[in-house]
Amino acid sequence: MEKILSKKALPQWVKTLTSYKVYFPKKDKDERWNYAEIDHEDINLAFLNTTLPPKKLLFPQKELFLEFAKTADGDQETLEVKEILPDEQPVVIFGVRPCDARAAWLLDKVFAGEFTDPYYWKRRNQTTLVGLACDTPPWENCFCLSVEGSPCSEEGLDILLTDLGDKYFVKSLTEKGATLIRAGKKVFQNPKPEDQKRAQAVQAESVKKIKRQLKDARAISSTLKRMFDSPLWDEESMSCIRCGICTYLCPSCHCFDINDELESASPLKGNRVRTWDTCQFPDFTMHSSGHNPRPEKASRLRQRLCHKFQYFVETYDKFQCVGCGRCISLCPVGIDIIKVLEKVNQHGT
Amino acid sequence: MAKIEDLKEEAKKLLREGKVKYIIGYGVGGNGWTAVPVFIKKPEDVDGLIWDPTCVHNLARFLVDEKRRKAKEKQPDARPVGIIVKGCDSRAIVVLLQEKFIDRKDVYILGVSCEKAGVVDDKKLAKKLKEKKPKKIELGDNGQFIIDTDGGKVEVPVEELLAERCLECKANFPVIYDVLSGDKTKRAVDKPFGSLEKIEALSSEERWNFWRAELEKCIRCYACRSVCPMCYCDECVVDSINMAVAADTSAEEKAQKIKWIQRSSESSENFVYHLVRAIHLGGRCIDCGECERACPLDIPLRFLNKKLEKEAKDLFGYEAGFDSSLPALISCFKDDDPEDFIR
Repeated sequence: MEKILSKKALPQWVKTLTSYKVYFPKKDKDERWNYAEIDHEDINLAFLNTTLPPKKLLFPQKELFLEFAKTADGDQETLEVKEILPDEQPVVIFGVRPCDARAAWLLDKVFAGEFTDPYYWKRRNQTTLVGLACDTPPWENCFCLSVEGSPCSEEGLDILLTDLGDKYFVKSLTEKGATLIRAGKKVFQNPKPEDQKRAQAVQAESVKKIKRQLKDARAISSTLKRMFDSPLWDEESMSCIRCGICTYLCPSCHCFDINDELESASPLKGNRVRTWDTCQFPDFTMHSSGHNPRPEKASRLRQRLCHKFQYFVETYDKFQCVGCGRCISLCPVGIDIIKVLEKVNQHGT
Repeated sequence: MAKIEDLKEEAKKLLREGKVKYIIGYGVGGNGWTAVPVFIKKPEDVDGLIWDPTCVHNLARFLVDEKRRKAKEKQPDARPVGIIVKGCDSRAIVVLLQEKFIDRKDVYILGVSCEKAGVVDDKKLAKKLKEKKPKKIELGDNGQFIIDTDGGKVEVPVEELLAERCLECKANFPVIYDVLSGDKTKRAVDKPFGSLEKIEALSSEERWNFWRAELEKCIRCYACRSVCPMCYCDECVVDSINMAVAADTSAEEKAQKIKWIQRSSESSENFVYHLVRAIHLGGRCIDCGECERACPLDIPLRFLNKKLEKEAKDLFGYEAGFDSSLPALISCFKDDDPEDFIR
């Protein structure tokens, strides 16, 4: 389904979505964009990209799995365990950049397969992603084209909006998307053939604006295989400070930890929670014996890159990097995944 | 005027003569104009060193890595490492020396003076330049930064672009060094704790709300801890394994490990993390501002550390990072201490 929505009518559309929890990118006082629940005052999509990707809403940093509590009645002790699933609540996220939606599409693969993750899928199935094609690269380090994405890619999205100046070209991609459009049907018009042409022109133009490029990403996958013991990792990780920025802010990184967090030890009461974890922390691979198979930051940088460009490609035939550029732009010491992979290519050949 | 050329000559000599293992300095980053830390091992690579107002990083942090690496070497190379330091970075080295974390012979210090300027705050710069993209930034002769952009040259008085911590810097030249480039000229600082005024003026309830909102943003990436040269503990209270687990650590010991902080990034836990860190830095923080710069969510961490710096000054007349022969504030005791609650 293809429609036209005037920019002025966007708030009207949003108003019809009464059964949904609606998120929009919002500028905070530090001038950073962040997805926040709307307050209906300032609804517009004039934004670049958010510091935290929409991953935070599909795979939150903290997910409650279950609550447990021990009760005693005389000598009789009972442990009550109550499974908690995310609340039943349809959600719509407006202004998802195509790279971040592709990342969600990659997370779909990770959280399905042999085991279907009920927590992730509960959220994913009740969330509608309304994408916004990039007419200009949101970050100077965008490189989606090099990893098989594009500023107007559709994977993972339910609707794709393309900015035509005073209106959006609206393309519905899934049944969830169609439902959302039906909810506000009066505010949409049918597109004219020239609208379609303009949308294509905007998209073709935006592709040209991506400056950064990683050449031969597919070749890098096979090169990485031979680079496991390369001294390159030591050199490139010298400046790494072992923080979690590159992975926590990555839209496709998905490693987690599960802990029982106690509210009280006696009587026993607490929660089992899943939280984000990262291969960049030294304790990520720490064994109970005290042995750490990835003790050095070199092996951790290698892990991050190999996971994205080798292991994931071997398993799913896709890069686990969508080229959003956050890890480059936000690294406190300027580690640049493109530069490191270019060096991998040079060393390997 | 500080000249990187002088330091390059010295760096080449040091490497050629094998007097240092390698040199920690600044080079040009992937974007072609901002500095990143570089590690130079060969004299021919020395030409890649730069010195300009984008050299924000406190390279003393890498001395912590060096020490750890050395501890694992079977036959450690006893030579020092060369390191380029600004005023604030040199104060970090002083603290590391005071605390005997490093030895003076472990470092060869190539000092560089910020003279009457300092480093730029990238957010202030972006605001100033609006759409223009910077290509190079230099310190001019008349208290201005000269920025080469894709839309021509722009000159801006240093005060408008300097990082907040530079505006409050008490010594914008190295206090300890083996060689020094540039002059030891002090820039007058009216209010060394001026930035605290707006937060000190808040009522306790307002302050509570301010910090609750700020710390709720924290995603616990620990960039503030990881970038800090003073955060060198082998065991950090926030890590999931925060005791030295060895092959012979019994299951009981592991099970009895006290969990001071939960992994969930929620308000209460974030407060514990940031307050533990702030208190551990009391009397030690030299205000390089790296924690605040590294934070991807702009949590104003400098307020916490600056406040404790002020307390140390007001209560004990102590300023961290100026004299490596003094004992560290939190590990000294004076017989004539007026505080009679310590006996």
